[in-house]
Amino acid sequence: MRAHSQKHQLTALAAPSVIFCVAMIAFPIIYTVWISFQSTTPTGGMRFAGGGNYSRMVQDGQFWNGIWVTFYLYFLSLALQLFFGTWLALLLFNAKRLPGILRSLFISPFMMPPVVAGMMWIVILDPSLGVANYLLTSLGLPPSTWLASPALVVPTLALIDTWQWTPYVALIVLGGLQSLPPNVYEAAEIDGAPRWKKLTRITLPLLLPTLVTAMVLRSVDLLRFFDLIYITTQGGPADASLTLNIYGFRTGFEFFQLGYSGALMITLSTIVLGAVIVLNKLRQKVAW
Amino acid sequence: MSTLSNPMSDRGARIANSVMLTIAGIIVITPTFWMVLSSFKQSFEVTAYPPTLLFTPTLENYATLSERTPFLSYALNSMIVTLGSTFLGLLFGAPAAFVASWTRVTWPAIVTLVARMAPGTLFLLPWYLMFRQFDMIGSYWSLILTHGVITMPIVIWVLLPFFDNIPRSIYEAAQVDGCSPAYVFWKIALPLVSSGLVVSTILAFVFSWNYFLFSLVLSNSDTKTLIAASFNFIGEGSTNWGGLMAAATLIALPPLVLATLVQRWLISGLTLGAVKG
Repeated sequence: MRAHSQKHQLTALAAPSVIFCVAMIAFPIIYTVWISFQSTTPTGGMRFAGGGNYSRMVQDGQFWNGIWVTFYLYFLSLALQLFFGTWLALLLFNAKRLPGILRSLFISPFMMPPVVAGMMWIVILDPSLGVANYLLTSLGLPPSTWLASPALVVPTLALIDTWQWTPYVALIVLGGLQSLPPNVYEAAEIDGAPRWKKLTRITLPLLLPTLVTAMVLRSVDLLRFFDLIYITTQGGPADASLTLNIYGFRTGFEFFQLGYSGALMITLSTIVLGAVIVLNKLRQKVAW
Repeated sequence: MSTLSNPMSDRGARIANSVMLTIAGIIVITPTFWMVLSSFKQSFEVTAYPPTLLFTPTLENYATLSERTPFLSYALNSMIVTLGSTFLGLLFGAPAAFVASWTRVTWPAIVTLVARMAPGTLFLLPWYLMFRQFDMIGSYWSLILTHGVITMPIVIWVLLPFFDNIPRSIYEAAQVDGCSPAYVFWKIALPLVSSGLVVSTILAFVFSWNYFLFSLVLSNSDTKTLIAASFNFIGEGSTNWGGLMAAATLIALPPLVLATLVQRWLISGLTLGAVKG
């Protein structure tokens, strides 16, 4: 009897969050799947469209452009952040003492809203009056058009995101470095192995699980890259930064084709889920 | 770790390490520094070319912000939505984390991770239709509820390890004494995880404050949050960089100050327990 009422109480404690999850997360996802099979009528109603939205998608050049931009931005940003993040982590790890102020400094980019990062980089990267071009020209380099150039907009966004998130990756990797058992270096010390060999043969392989974790966390955000693009370019110039997420949003809330937007969002969510599953498999492989 | 290596090369490596770390620090802080600096420049100086480092600082940009834009009412909207959704996240998330820790049933917590992984527009499409049905678009409630989807998973995942750290013998002793789970939660467990509550409150606040997409669609001109109003500042900013940078500085201030307070727990909190900081 007491166990019974205890179970009731536990259920009651968990109930609000479970109901909230069902109403605000689970049900909306199912609803979006349903929407993705509908088309919007001129009067604003919905009509069953079968697989119409999905067959339109595979023939839509902007969809394939969105896939390309999404993955271009994803791989470029991920590579930069992992490389510089690991490097920065090693610098922090090797520093004898780390002033607390330095740690606050390193968390500042990724704790500020991405929208604010966008606002400030718009000013810094302004093609005619921005300080970035001033620095380039005073070094004797040609000025750049940055976000205004179709060819450079994705690398520029990757650079801004790398500025913002490299310290985050670094702090994750630093946690991994600090949890490595110190005795792994002993044999290498006795053999007198050079520094870089210790790094590539011992440290990095042992760090792989942490690196894959950092990859999972960054992948989830990078594949859904939204705020920074929407505030700076909204997908332009000439659709050169129109990721799947931006395209889906604009289809839904600027052109009000909710059904097609739903199909794009289901596709993007499947891509994110697929990436997480693949990376989790990889994490199990490199675990030690 | 280096009794056998050459002390000279060791010293060289240490200096190189410090130099590179300093350069990294400068790269990290310079853009933010430039933003704050520009916000104190007068209008003719902020667009000066070549850019100036030395100038007479002015508060003019901050002062005109509330004259030229409804900055204060946007800030109030941000506060209402952020505090409301943080409270909602705690109200629902804290008991859920306690139950997950007590019963070791974690699937509800894992369901909330879906919200962390899926693109926001996936939820926004059905929410938009639902809230339109109930005539709630533009209401604070629609914003607080949707931001709750951001805050609740943070609260659950930050609190879970704190609850797990409570020795189970405490729960068992309380049960022997005839305490109900609700009593154990409220009188015993919650006071023991008070630092976890602080961390989860702050992180939930920061992420709700920073969140852009939902209020972009679900707010109207009366309930628009600061983040969603950024577009207005940028439109304004094409002629007034000083004002834009003052707005950006003020919007970034609350999350930056709060994040500094919980530095120690930041990484384990942000990675939802995937990484121990």
